[in-house]
Amino acid sequence: MAYTFRGGSHVSEHKNTRRCQIQRLDPPAQVAIPLSQHIGAPCKSLVAVGDYVYRGQMIGNVEGGLGCPVHSSVSGTVKALNPRTNAAGQQVTHVIIESDGEMALDPLIVPHEKKLTETDPEEIVEIIRRAGIVGMGGAGFPTYAKINSALGRVDRLIVNCAECEPYITANHRLLLENPAAVINGTKILLRAFGLRQADIAVEDNKLDAINKLEAMLVDSRLMRVRVLKTKYPQGDERQLIYALTGRELPAGKLPADIGCVVFNAETCAAIFSAFAYGMPSIERIVTVDGDCVAEPKNLLVPIGTSCLEVLEACGGLKHPPHKVIFGGPMMGAAQWDIEMPVTKGTSAILAFSEKAVRDPKLPEVCLHCGRCVQNCPMHLMPNYLVQYAMKGRMEEAEEFGVMSCVGCGTCSYNCPGHMPIVQYIRVAKGAINARRAEARARAEAQNESKEKEAAK
Amino acid sequence: MKESSTVTSVGGAEIPALLSVSPSPHIHHPDTTRTVMLDVIFALIPAALWGVYIFGLRVLWVILVSVVSAVLAEAITQKLLRRPVTVADCSAALTGLLLALNLPATVPLWMCAIGSAFAIIVVKQLFGGIGKNFVNPALAARVFLFAWPESMSFFTAPGARLGLFDFSVKADGVDVVSTATPLASLKTGIIPEVSIFDLAFGEVGGCIGEVSAILLIAGGIYLLVRRVITWHIPVAYLGTVALVTFLFPQGGAGATFMLMELFSGGLMLGAFFMATDYTTSPITPAGRLIFGVGCGLLTVLIRYFGGYNEGVSFAILIMNTLVWYLDRFTRPRVFGGGKNGKK
Repeated sequence: MAYTFRGGSHVSEHKNTRRCQIQRLDPPAQVAIPLSQHIGAPCKSLVAVGDYVYRGQMIGNVEGGLGCPVHSSVSGTVKALNPRTNAAGQQVTHVIIESDGEMALDPLIVPHEKKLTETDPEEIVEIIRRAGIVGMGGAGFPTYAKINSALGRVDRLIVNCAECEPYITANHRLLLENPAAVINGTKILLRAFGLRQADIAVEDNKLDAINKLEAMLVDSRLMRVRVLKTKYPQGDERQLIYALTGRELPAGKLPADIGCVVFNAETCAAIFSAFAYGMPSIERIVTVDGDCVAEPKNLLVPIGTSCLEVLEACGGLKHPPHKVIFGGPMMGAAQWDIEMPVTKGTSAILAFSEKAVRDPKLPEVCLHCGRCVQNCPMHLMPNYLVQYAMKGRMEEAEEFGVMSCVGCGTCSYNCPGHMPIVQYIRVAKGAINARRAEARARAEAQNESKEKEAAK
Repeated sequence: MKESSTVTSVGGAEIPALLSVSPSPHIHHPDTTRTVMLDVIFALIPAALWGVYIFGLRVLWVILVSVVSAVLAEAITQKLLRRPVTVADCSAALTGLLLALNLPATVPLWMCAIGSAFAIIVVKQLFGGIGKNFVNPALAARVFLFAWPESMSFFTAPGARLGLFDFSVKADGVDVVSTATPLASLKTGIIPEVSIFDLAFGEVGGCIGEVSAILLIAGGIYLLVRRVITWHIPVAYLGTVALVTFLFPQGGAGATFMLMELFSGGLMLGAFFMATDYTTSPITPAGRLIFGVGCGLLTVLIRYFGGYNEGVSFAILIMNTLVWYLDRFTRPRVFGGGKNGKK
């Protein structure tokens, strides 16, 4: 029996690239590396215009606080430090590097000198931090910070290869082509946490990868392959932890609070590269697909490569694209600029024609059919949340658990009335968060004025 | 935004200057309101055709007038209320069809039109349109038409074969044989003189669409397989009726009486097609089970003690009014939440 959870729904998989071997993208002529690619403080640039940089050289670092350094993914000359608007609408400085085509590796990059058994957890965390590794499943939380916050508090280590988003096969191909990297990366994490066993969780639509892993792990007690039922959103941390351990993660808590820690498969492989070769996180596997793409592929892409260049490497586009999505079609972000650079969290680039994704011009109605309730992995009543959000009745929305929504979009996907359910829920969550922040600010201001009065 | 009025071209396809940006999800399940309604209409067609076969071609007029009046009423009301006209979603057509199947074959055609108009205008549009009505429009219209009791409770004998041009059939008709429905005889505690097979296949008198239990069950199974409905309401509804009639038969052996009750009247039509109406039934599994049990109990109570022989319509209408409470009462526990679903 495959492991699973209650709720969710089967979304048509479109795993068209499951047999496409990972190909290395030709060195791009130019890369634009954002100094902020994830949660945490943006990096400060360590290079100036005109500097020569090696491939793998650190070009940005944070001064204290949460954050990860970034590295150059090519060798060449820094052309500019340009502010650009990213997909989330924030202004971020991008380091523009013109490649010399040599891909000359930074001579400072050397393998870790000690054996794993002689390495302390603190050293492992430092290696991972220096390599700039962040969660590669899409959320992009700095991996070193996740490990730090979980050290000594967890008894379950889970490697997430569910890959429940349609179209994406990057993790699937990684498991088939380089399972050793994932396994070895997991061993490093086991060492860091002082645990004896990890679970590698794979959805049952990747049986070839499951067989391969099981064959490799037949003599090992360090890892168990856990087969998950193929169902969206199985790759969500909460659903994954529940499926494997039966533990429920309350809203606003971290997996470490219930003794679990989850890493994406590609993150594990990146950890192995950092440890074994000293290699920082400068490239990643990107699934390129969508009905506009002439030859869908899995590509190993240097961070900072323009989306346009990646699409060109896939035989170009067959139809004019209507939407270009970074990530999966269920939770990925639509891009407004086709020259947006690939970042550490870009698991896929999907180019869709208007026909494939155009929102049908149907009236939005709630039939009260209950599909959103049946399919909600958080067991909410999304149709009621929408009604409260539309009427601005946020207290009731809160009482109905709106803040527990993980935004997976299963409700909107299945709604026959084409209600933008999860979109309304996001509006409600935003409004409630703003209200909470306002209340907090007001309370603080009150405290301050009280203190002032007391001081008088 | 970046100035990108220049159109780039990759591999032959031009890239528009502006890409479309919208929040996720970017893909959608193929189901729409229209496909759902068409599925239900499709599932009703066998039972409707049986009605035509057993009562005659006149039934076609009943169905046609009901459906067309419902669609027209919706279009006209939406025009008048300055709402977008949404007859293409087929929900009005379905309401008309359901009403027709709940009428006797001899019903005057003007009553079909009045009933459809009442269902669409008063019950549906005045409450805000699709998804907003609080009782089932077709059933409410049927009950409204009981204002003309002679026409509503005159049932032709099976095999009457009314002609295509028998527009008006008089209730005291010379040319039509009236029949007592099995329910009328069950009410008095007498097992009707009809075999259980004739009853199940629909060789009996009754409303157009309710007589063939077998074809209605087949349609219901189709809806279950297509995941248009879930099993909760039909199973709870039919199960309750079966249990109560088996334990407390009004006459004859428990098992025979139970089967007679199950296959008589509008129970199958009600359990699979009327009680499962999305807008007027609960959305949680537990709510649906309670709703089904409630419908079952009320149906049997009305059949046993009520003024009418049939209780399905009234039972469902009464339960319809409780849906909002059932939804709230059976709110699921939020994942990761506390015991009562609150954080």
